Amino acid sequence: MLSSEPIIHIDPELCTGCRRCAAVCPVDAITGEPGQPQEVDAHRCVICGQCVQICTAYAPDHLESADSLKAKRLQRGQLPSVREPLFAAYSTGQALGVKRALANPALYKVVQCAPAIRVSLAEEFGLPLGTLTPGKMAAALRRLKFDRIYDTNFGADVTIMEEGTELIGRVMSGERLPMFTSCCPAWVKHAETAAPELLDHLSSCKSPMQMVGALVKTYGAKQDGVDPAKIYSVAVMPCTCKEFECSREEMEVDGLREVDVVITTRELAHLIKDAGIDFVNLPDEPFDSPLGLYSGAGSIFGVTGGVMEAAIRTGYELVTHETIPNLQLDFVRGEEGLRTATVQLGELELKVAVVAGLKHVSEILNQVKAGHCPYHFIEVMGCPEGCVSGGGQPKLLLETLRKTAYQARKSSVYRHDSHQQVRKSHENPAIIKLYKDFLGEPLGHVPHHLLHTKYQSREKEVSPISAGREGGKL
Amino acid sequence: MNRASSNSLVIAEAAKCIGCKACELACFAVHNRDNGVGTAVGTVTMPVLPRLYVIRTDSFTMPVQCRQCENAPCAGACPVQAIRQQDGVIAIDAEACIGCKACALACPFGAISLYKAYSGGAELPQPLLQERRDSKLQRKTRITAYKCDLCRNTEIPGGSAAGEDAGGGRSTAAAARDRNPFPACVAVCPEKALRLVEGGTGSSRSLNREGGIS
Repeated sequence: MLSSEPIIHIDPELCTGCRRCAAVCPVDAITGEPGQPQEVDAHRCVICGQCVQICTAYAPDHLESADSLKAKRLQRGQLPSVREPLFAAYSTGQALGVKRALANPALYKVVQCAPAIRVSLAEEFGLPLGTLTPGKMAAALRRLKFDRIYDTNFGADVTIMEEGTELIGRVMSGERLPMFTSCCPAWVKHAETAAPELLDHLSSCKSPMQMVGALVKTYGAKQDGVDPAKIYSVAVMPCTCKEFECSREEMEVDGLREVDVVITTRELAHLIKDAGIDFVNLPDEPFDSPLGLYSGAGSIFGVTGGVMEAAIRTGYELVTHETIPNLQLDFVRGEEGLRTATVQLGELELKVAVVAGLKHVSEILNQVKAGHCPYHFIEVMGCPEGCVSGGGQPKLLLETLRKTAYQARKSSVYRHDSHQQVRKSHENPAIIKLYKDFLGEPLGHVPHHLLHTKYQSREKEVSPISAGREGGKL
Repeated sequence: MNRASSNSLVIAEAAKCIGCKACELACFAVHNRDNGVGTAVGTVTMPVLPRLYVIRTDSFTMPVQCRQCENAPCAGACPVQAIRQQDGVIAIDAEACIGCKACALACPFGAISLYKAYSGGAELPQPLLQERRDSKLQRKTRITAYKCDLCRNTEIPGGSAAGEDAGGGRSTAAAARDRNPFPACVAVCPEKALRLVEGGTGSSRSLNREGGIS
């Protein structure tokens, strides 16, 4: 499903023009007069969905006709059974298509969930903020009739193998430094739009979601003995931009889409409710083998600093051949803004930076453009505290709970990590087996084909006439 | 001069209000814990029914809510004494309310609305009255008056976060109250356009100053 349709919208009939969305937009993509309906500039928009999260301009359903609300739900791609209020800022959903596919016995339905889903999904069912429910999540997906419950956290572990190896190679050779992470599609789109000359600096790794997608239709299909063409691959993401990522032309493997469709945390909750599943009372169930087995390092990708921490846990051991003395790397943990640290990996002094919230990246981009950026490795996440605060996450009714919610979700992510038996990606037995049986070496021929990608400039093309005008002004 | 204690009230400043309706949403959220409303929009299964209303004109926008009138005309108009002075607010006893609309008509501010009553997130039917719906005789949904109660007896939805209640020495409810000072509309307003003017024994002039309505 290749689509360039915009995903983020503001309903002019509901928008009151308060412009709180414009205040949280990290790329100034929302324009309009105060008090008037706002518009989204789709070119600038990085689809992070922070506007969707902040919007409080709800449709007063006691005033609107039932028919108009129904039409709005349909336009937004919501299941007809959804009863929650509608807001002016919204993202178009994919739940209708997923529901249809789940009822199709000819398809082999595979699902993966991002690390941040299991710490927030329960909020949609009235459980306390940040309740950790990986087992109930897997059970609910199984009851929705997915044939395989795989996991993005496994893809995060693969990402560490590839990106960690890539980083070490680039640091040793001094090439294209600093290296930026490439997991966050909003950041990637922003880099393509605002700094196309720096695209060489992005890791060539696909995101964990796309890596799982590519593996589901190759390695996974082989393991499960199914025809890859019959696989319908769904990803549940805390993110409104992941649907854009999965629709990128290059995200295909042997002529098949790696991920067929992405739904958000909120949409998964809609599907669970629509199917009449009593989420709160579900038993804990496991993920499926092999693409559902993950390490603690994979699970912390859901918070800002998590990719960095996971990369250092593995990078330290790959470089020094010694066990890392402490697994909890507090110096990269934190919240919105820019955090920096120097990490000693044997002889190597690795300078790292973590950016949370896309508005904090411009300073770094300017440093890189000017050639005096001191860091080797920079993690960038578009949303304020990483994926736990993503645009597809449960939307809070009270702004006053936002900090508490992010804190609670983050604590759960870290608690989940600390309770895992395996906490380093390279020690995940399913990862070791994947490389031994299928991928070969990190950055090798097969990984290069399946797990790495290229980026494209999205700089607005300037027509010769308008360029001339610009020149005339001077 | 005889100084009697007066009711507190929430008052808004039109010059600061941006019309975002966060106050309406917060008002609804804290009053509907019993209807299953939690922290997330997804827990809502009923219409958003606020007790204050952001109004818009060509030149300004601001929320309008109950003044907790000392000589409440709504209470005087209620034929069944369902509106009473109680704990410093003018309160509606929803169970006693007969839905006659007299209070809404009597209110000079338009701060009282009549909505369907809900219980457990679903419409609450009447015990006796029936109506024909979808060509079937069904019990009519109960309708009652709603107004601002200064968040008396409300609860923060999901105020406790997972794993938070262990230790600490303080109750989670107290901690949640710190994060969410009441009334909810005042707490969430991003522009601080709403404020609680505490009642007491003050003169009308000091009330005016506090309310910024001199």
